[in-house]
Amino acid sequence: MDVAELIRERLREVYDPELGVNVVDLGLVYDIREEPDRVLVKMTLTTPGCPLHDAIIGGARRALWQAIPDKPVDVELVWEPRWSPDRMSDAAREQLGLI
Amino acid sequence: MSRLPLLFIVTGMIGFALFHAVSLSSLLGWLDDGVRGPEGWFNAHLFVLGWATMLAMGAYYQLISVVLQTKIYSEKLGFLHYATFTVGLFGLLFGFALGKTAMIALFAALAFAGILLFAWNVGATLLGAAKWDAITSSAGMAVLYLVLTGLAGMAMGVNFAAGWWNDLHQRLFGTHIWLGTVGWFGLLITGFSYKMLPMFFLSHGHPTALQKAVFVLWNAAVLAGAAVLLAGGGATPMLVAVALLAAAIAVYNVHILQIRKHRHKKNPGAGIRWSMYGNHAFAAIAAGALIWALVRPPALTETGTLLLAGWLYLPGWVSFMILSYASKIVPFLWWTLKYGQRAGQPGTPLMAGLLDERKANALLAAVAVTFFLPAAGLALDLEAMVAAGGSLHSAVSLAYMALLGLVFTR
Repeated sequence: MDVAELIRERLREVYDPELGVNVVDLGLVYDIREEPDRVLVKMTLTTPGCPLHDAIIGGARRALWQAIPDKPVDVELVWEPRWSPDRMSDAAREQLGLI
Repeated sequence: MSRLPLLFIVTGMIGFALFHAVSLSSLLGWLDDGVRGPEGWFNAHLFVLGWATMLAMGAYYQLISVVLQTKIYSEKLGFLHYATFTVGLFGLLFGFALGKTAMIALFAALAFAGILLFAWNVGATLLGAAKWDAITSSAGMAVLYLVLTGLAGMAMGVNFAAGWWNDLHQRLFGTHIWLGTVGWFGLLITGFSYKMLPMFFLSHGHPTALQKAVFVLWNAAVLAGAAVLLAGGGATPMLVAVALLAAAIAVYNVHILQIRKHRHKKNPGAGIRWSMYGNHAFAAIAAGALIWALVRPPALTETGTLLLAGWLYLPGWVSFMILSYASKIVPFLWWTLKYGQRAGQPGTPLMAGLLDERKANALLAAVAVTFFLPAAGLALDLEAMVAAGGSLHSAVSLAYMALLGLVFTR
């Protein structure tokens, strides 16, 4: 399993506690990039000022703690591009009752 | 995470339980001839301040930082507000219960001081953020109307003691009620719903233009009504305020349907679904009230009409909206406090696991249905129906509040 896949699998354990859908299926994970001295994960939230900001980002950081033995994983919150529902996976849509 | 919102919300839940326990024990006897005396003042203020305003203040502290993406101006001021308002309120209630004028005066002043501290805190937060849209404008105006409501109440208290403006007293009473119910609660509920409903429906891309229309119409209704009542105007000028309010409610309902239409989550939860039903029922009732007032304008000044309108608006729309949204607010606050630091770890419960949705749905349905029994009793002037229906309503309301209370055991 490559690094990006490993990170994604770990992030599938991090849920939006209100929606009950994990952050990967919600389409919140924008980029996973391996750099020389770290792995950088760029992610967003469904809405600016999301009241669960700390819980979700903190959860992502906890889930990725020591995920890669020889490199730290940094989680960066970004707001561009703005999240939109079309980024959700079919699994997320099904879980939210849309299909 | 701040414990300030939870403090207010738990106290509000206790206020709700106290109100309904007292109502049950008196079989709502106060909601008749006693409504304009100490017994009525006790129950009305326990309900409006001890339950609805208390919980609303907690929700306000929680949501304003979400909306503005900034911390509240001062946590310490928030705790001082809580202490002042709560001590003032319960002293005031004891004063009403015991009929002690000096006690009423002292503790009313303390409760009003609490409201001023709240206004200072949120005012500084809003002005500091300088982010003005329909949500923040509604929130700001709501607090202004709360302060004016308190001021009118204080003026009435002074008049009771000193008799300085007896001619004004009845007019102050009407203005006090209108500003508090339509102004404070109306703008708070509509304003914050523009943030909360899209969150729980996961709505995106919905139009927001109607939010401004609701803001303008609702404020026009508040100001028109307050002006008419303060000037001692009669039923006909009051019709204008009622028509403006009915229009605001209608436009508001169109907007919340726009939010729902753009949803990406089919089921927002029982509480939010019931809030939508409650809003639609409210719009229908407002339209019916306007038609009735147009056909029979003198009804707007009749005691029976006013009592029924007060019941439909306060324990009806205002309280039901707060109960509905509490189904999200309470689990959210508890989950964040208890499990927020465990998010991302396997086995961490979801928010949905904290409140039994099926029971919440059933109990909210029961609260909604039983609410109309005392309403019918008031409309038909049937005391027994008010007593029996009101008692049933109080019983199911207590059951729903107990269900919310169970969240704190998860």
